[in-house]
Amino acid sequence: MTVYRFDGSFEGFLCAVDYCLDIGDTQPEFIRDGDVQAVGLFAGEVREVATLRECALTLRKRFVEAASQEAFATARYAFHSHKTGIELLLWRYLTLGLQVGRRLCLMLAEEPVHSVNRIARQVSHEAHKYKGFVRFREVEAGFLYAQIEPEADILPFIAPHFVGRVGDRPWMIHDLRRNQAALYDLTSWRLIRDVELSAEPALSATEHDYAALWQRYFQRHAIAERHNPKLQQQHVPLRYRKHLTEFIIP
Amino acid sequence: MITLPLEQRLEILADSAKYDVSCSSSGSSRAGKAGALGNTTSSGICHTWTADGRCISLLKILLTNACIFDCAYCLNRRSNDITRAAMTPDEVVDLTMNFYRRNYIEGLFLSTGVIRTADYTMEQLIAVAQRLREVERFNGYIHLKLVPGADPLLIAQAGRYADRVSINIELPSRQSLALLAPDKPRESVINPMRQVSDLLAEAREARTQSRRAPRFAPAGQSTQLIVGATPESDRDIITLTEGLYHKLELKRVYYSAYIPGSVDSRLPALPTPPLLREHRLYQADWLLRFYGFAASELLDAAHPNLDMRFDPKSDWALRHLELFPVEVNRVDYEVLLRVPGIGVRSAQRIVQARRGTRLGEAELKKLGVVLKRAKYFLTAGGRYLGGIRLDGPRLMERMLAPARRPAHLDQLELFATMPDASALTGEL
Repeated sequence: MTVYRFDGSFEGFLCAVDYCLDIGDTQPEFIRDGDVQAVGLFAGEVREVATLRECALTLRKRFVEAASQEAFATARYAFHSHKTGIELLLWRYLTLGLQVGRRLCLMLAEEPVHSVNRIARQVSHEAHKYKGFVRFREVEAGFLYAQIEPEADILPFIAPHFVGRVGDRPWMIHDLRRNQAALYDLTSWRLIRDVELSAEPALSATEHDYAALWQRYFQRHAIAERHNPKLQQQHVPLRYRKHLTEFIIP
Repeated sequence: MITLPLEQRLEILADSAKYDVSCSSSGSSRAGKAGALGNTTSSGICHTWTADGRCISLLKILLTNACIFDCAYCLNRRSNDITRAAMTPDEVVDLTMNFYRRNYIEGLFLSTGVIRTADYTMEQLIAVAQRLREVERFNGYIHLKLVPGADPLLIAQAGRYADRVSINIELPSRQSLALLAPDKPRESVINPMRQVSDLLAEAREARTQSRRAPRFAPAGQSTQLIVGATPESDRDIITLTEGLYHKLELKRVYYSAYIPGSVDSRLPALPTPPLLREHRLYQADWLLRFYGFAASELLDAAHPNLDMRFDPKSDWALRHLELFPVEVNRVDYEVLLRVPGIGVRSAQRIVQARRGTRLGEAELKKLGVVLKRAKYFLTAGGRYLGGIRLDGPRLMERMLAPARRPAHLDQLELFATMPDASALTGEL
């Protein structure tokens, strides 16, 4: 059994899948670059697959034409869950899609479609939540900096949203769990890997004031007669609160 | 009124604004502009939830809580002895821009007490919105309150800057309004709503002619009704709501459980706000908008009020057992929507999945269809899923039997779902 090593990106994964389809390997295994543990003791040969944009785009086109745009978007969401075994699940999903075509999206109650849909939904939920939960702090010279710790790798899904939203300032959204960040420089955004914070960023002079105003507003906005912390926790689970300005006690 | 420090005024004015329950930032989809701040997404985005479990999407604030009106149910009524405060337009603009930039909020919801005259007050609100749009080039969401009795020209102007406008009916009947809000005749609320409805239709028409035609409140209009302060039945309320949706094309009608805030003899002394009733009204409201129900099906002269024990759809189904069970592999989408426990999303998935395979109980569970209530009303491949024979009293007993969550936790859950289908499920 051959193990295919790709660079960890979705494009890289598509290239690996494309390569397997090309050479007719029907029992591939995949590992991400730098993921040492994933190579089992009895694993066969490890083959490196280079990431070529065109290659990924070709497979994308083929899959979209066979199955659908939505099915491809689902696969992309699911991939970014970074769950163990997601590559094999998606391999089955993609090859099934190429086989059965449009029927893929009707197979909701069957595997692997059911699992892929479920995982994709989780990732998409989390991405949507973070469109609301990112909290920028203004650091020197008007630069905006936010820290997040999401379960899934959601930066590629939320960055375009913030490009459209905060287009008048440079900003960075830093995923502390994966040491990577989306950086916007007033023209476009890009993903940077291996980002580490050497020191807490120096905040701008007014940052503290606005944060304090927001905290007061937030406290006062609750209606005492309707007090319902359980419902609140359902919507804002505790794990999100660490980076939410309004939940940080000054 | 503006001598107090900003943080205190912010607290006072947030306090005064929080009983307006409209929270949504949806219905408007506008891409960001290069070099400017803000965009809007049609599903809306919640940014946080307060300790009462309600979401914060917009900076909801009053320009001032001083008011010349004396509406008995309102915290800000003239005769109430509370601290009065005001914000300058500059302060509101600055807070909006800075909160928005930090991604605390989706935009501004600006309301106010009535000062001097209706027109003067409306002008103050418009001035803030205009400043945000034209000077600061703010492209995020703006919800403006319309002032009862304001000039039609001002209302037309407000809709040019706002994504959504609203004016609150508050009390469902003319009599209640006359009793509790003597300064606010029903016409002063209904006429602006009619006008907005006409302007929306006009703007829509104009945009089919030219894409450059000016927009008018692209996210439409909404209103609010207070529940429990006056003796109207749920039937009165839901019938009024249906009229508002059909005749005036409102996007949303909000219901606000009355929270006793004064010792006025014209108002009831409630021990707690009627939260469960509010919840049931929202459920009925959803049935009107997304499930194809008519108000007359849910409530009639014999049943003027919603059953507090069941959701309104279960209540309806229990009164129409002759229509059930239905075969999940065969019946139309519209019929599936009428099965208790099956929502828009489940019904869509069922319709999609059954084209590929025959659905049994296991498949339904895999689709994420919750069978707790639905099983009593479904057959799958000819097999009845409920286990017991359908007879009214026993079924009702069975449906009530499982450990129910205490009533006070039954509050409406908004925005807990995937963004793309939200326009269909009604998280608007």
